[in-house]
Amino acid sequence: MSDARPVIGIDLGTTNSVVATVQGGMSRVIPNRSGQALTPSIVAVARNGKRLVGALAKRQAITNPEQTVFAAKRLIGRRWGAKEVEDARRVLPYALVAGPEGNDVRVQLGDRTLSIPEISAMVLAELKADAEAFLGKPVERAVITVPAYFNDGQRQATKDAGRIAGLEVLRIISEPTSAALAYGFGRQTEKKVVVFDLGGGTFDVSILDISKSVYDVVAVGGDTYLGGEDFDRRVMDWLTFGFARENGGVDLRTDKMALQRLRDAAERAKCELSAAPSTAIHLPFLVGGGEGKSALHLDKQLSREKLEELTKDLVDRCIAVTERTLKDAGVRTAQVGEVILVGGMTRMPRVQRAVREFFGREPCKGVHPDEVVAVGAAIQAHALAAPGGKGEEVLLLDVTPQNLGLLVVGGYFQTVIPKNTTVPTSQTHLFTTVQDDQTSVRIAVLQGESERAIDNELLGEFVLDGIRPARRGEVSIEVTFDISADGIVGVSARDVATGQQQSITVTATSGLTEAELKKILDEQRDDLLEKKQSWKELDEGRERALAMIHDIEALVPAVEGALERSKFGKDAIQKASAVLVRARAAIEARDAAALEAELEPLDRTLQLFRGLADGRPGGR
Amino acid sequence: MSVSTVAELIDRGIKAYLAGRVKDALAAFQRVLELEPGNAKARGYIVRIHAVTPSTTPPPGATRPVHPGVAAPVPLPGAAGARPDAAPRAPVEAASSPWDDGPSAVATYVLEPDGGIDLGAVAERPRPAAAPPPEGAGAEIDAWLGAARELFALGDFTGSLELIEKILHLDPEHAEARAYLAQNEVTLTSMYESKLGPLSAVPRLAIKPEEILWLNLDHRAGFLLSQIDGAVDYEALFAVSGLPRLETARILANLVADGVIAAR
Repeated sequence: MSDARPVIGIDLGTTNSVVATVQGGMSRVIPNRSGQALTPSIVAVARNGKRLVGALAKRQAITNPEQTVFAAKRLIGRRWGAKEVEDARRVLPYALVAGPEGNDVRVQLGDRTLSIPEISAMVLAELKADAEAFLGKPVERAVITVPAYFNDGQRQATKDAGRIAGLEVLRIISEPTSAALAYGFGRQTEKKVVVFDLGGGTFDVSILDISKSVYDVVAVGGDTYLGGEDFDRRVMDWLTFGFARENGGVDLRTDKMALQRLRDAAERAKCELSAAPSTAIHLPFLVGGGEGKSALHLDKQLSREKLEELTKDLVDRCIAVTERTLKDAGVRTAQVGEVILVGGMTRMPRVQRAVREFFGREPCKGVHPDEVVAVGAAIQAHALAAPGGKGEEVLLLDVTPQNLGLLVVGGYFQTVIPKNTTVPTSQTHLFTTVQDDQTSVRIAVLQGESERAIDNELLGEFVLDGIRPARRGEVSIEVTFDISADGIVGVSARDVATGQQQSITVTATSGLTEAELKKILDEQRDDLLEKKQSWKELDEGRERALAMIHDIEALVPAVEGALERSKFGKDAIQKASAVLVRARAAIEARDAAALEAELEPLDRTLQLFRGLADGRPGGR
Repeated sequence: MSVSTVAELIDRGIKAYLAGRVKDALAAFQRVLELEPGNAKARGYIVRIHAVTPSTTPPPGATRPVHPGVAAPVPLPGAAGARPDAAPRAPVEAASSPWDDGPSAVATYVLEPDGGIDLGAVAERPRPAAAPPPEGAGAEIDAWLGAARELFALGDFTGSLELIEKILHLDPEHAEARAYLAQNEVTLTSMYESKLGPLSAVPRLAIKPEEILWLNLDHRAGFLLSQIDGAVDYEALFAVSGLPRLETARILANLVADGVIAAR
């Protein structure tokens, strides 16, 4: 593949996101502009009105909770009334409101009400910008990963987020598939693989059948409220109660600044304990001492043993969920050929030990658990973008993440295509009428896990009429579900006796109306045009700047010689080198505005140097 | 004697007077008159001190300044041609939507609505309903306001701000005090920011981490110091501090002045 139009893979996580690419046949994680591989999936409007994304947004998440949106992934593509949204509303400090048509979730942030895809788009745009800074080229195409259990609406919403961020989403792939892809890349593996993904906010366990280059997710399970943040909270609680005990009952939880530092320190300590047996937590001037007394310090030593004691039940929960998922899928641990660890929390030795003990085998450690999903996505993106669209393409087989079926009498949900069915697929079921002389039936297509229809996602509905009047139970209605490889669901219903037929194609929606999406994309297009213009300006500016830097550097010896004989301009070299440093920094950062600002000083320096070199102090 | 020394003496005198140290105040103003016999401000304060302290020391600001020139509002710096009675101009334009900004590089400059009054506030606190100033506070407020104008004119924005905060403590809706508050904050913020250098510079710890404990910081400075990791620039620190911009700038400027941090 030519790198002229680079493509990227993005792991858009609940807590952190990662972007990777393939360069020269090797996958590579792209660091953000702070040099970190992980970018927190957090968006905020700071108290000074500035929009923040990533690490900076995280730094003020506790001191500015109402204006900091985290874990947007829990809400993406969800209905306003969904149980998950209700759960989220109870725990999230930022304001959620219903969308204009009352069917999706919006966030009140700053002076705007934003859809969840718009929030996710800000994180994606940040990753895109990081990739562009790293690669030195515009990036317009990506593969984005989502959890295996995401339904069609959630996948579509993620796709919309990509579009809003200015990315053509080549494909949405499942996270466990992506992780397995990263391990299977270049290998001829044929085995059952378990992906044990303990991230910042969620725990997912997936079972895949990998056969040569075919990746088939056969089962998924997990706990959407179990992750690294729960481990951090245990450390925070331990620190808070210890501090109160040692300082006359001072409660750090009442001070947001203290709490912010405490959370950062707890997370850092937890990470350090993956590599060291103990770590020092040192937070000077943490909280006011009260009544004119000096601020109080927190100084604690945390051992790995203590951390394991504090979080034992969380690790046990992970194993219990894993056990249940395997049992549901009818898979014994002895059948598992590989266990892939995903997510930063799996670096914790206690977690690794628990996994090893449960599966009776050593988990794979070849790819960094924080990065493995993004790497797999980058590999898939690279394959999809290869000339001719084939290249080293790996066939990805996904499964239906949830049961697909119909609303039936009594408000129950009748499954037609069970979850974990490999797509593409087609299934037909026979239904019958429930009333005498019934001439029409309502076909409500649903997706979900609950037996009660109301708890599941409504994908679409239609009415089949013209049914032959007859006694109840005498009419047969044949309902067929088709799911294409792209995940598009087609449902048709046919009166077997009369041949009367109706059908719909369910196109997943993200919650954004078409008009809204169009408006956002129009704005984004204008923004893109501006960015393209700025890339063009940057390229032109860079050429000019590099030429001047070259000329200035060439003149330095002559200028130094001239200054030896002059009383003036002794600081010229120093000033010039400062200009060169700034110009180079602007080029490196691909900051068009900063570079533009340096062109004039560069020009002035060049003229001055030419003058000095020619023996004309002061230049032109 | 340089002009700045005269100004410093007047500043010292006003502060001493407001603190109830009448003797020190008198000494400072008399020293000014020795240096500049025609100095109207020093004369005005001396007259005022003698008028109210025949035998006992009055509480600070217990009387209204008698010198008409002192009591008049001082035109604000930079407001050329401003009417003497005009309230200070609005300090900054209201920020446009942050969503209209480009990515992180562009700073939005907004003063906290309650900035300068409760600098330690990080939690959302509803602004209390304005209560009328307490009985008999009018004279005190007038004196403080006069002194605040004086200090502002002398360039002592911190001193002026302290007095304005005292006024707003008694009368939160005092329009002129609020205008001065904003102007003082803008000026002070600019002053502190100028001590930081370019706001795009990235500060780093300039002392050994173990030496931090020997500093004399409060928990807000401790918080800001903990955010300085050699990766974020000053502008980002303003965004993450959660404190009013002035307070952030003041803490950072102090940390720079004390050699605790330095920008690369």
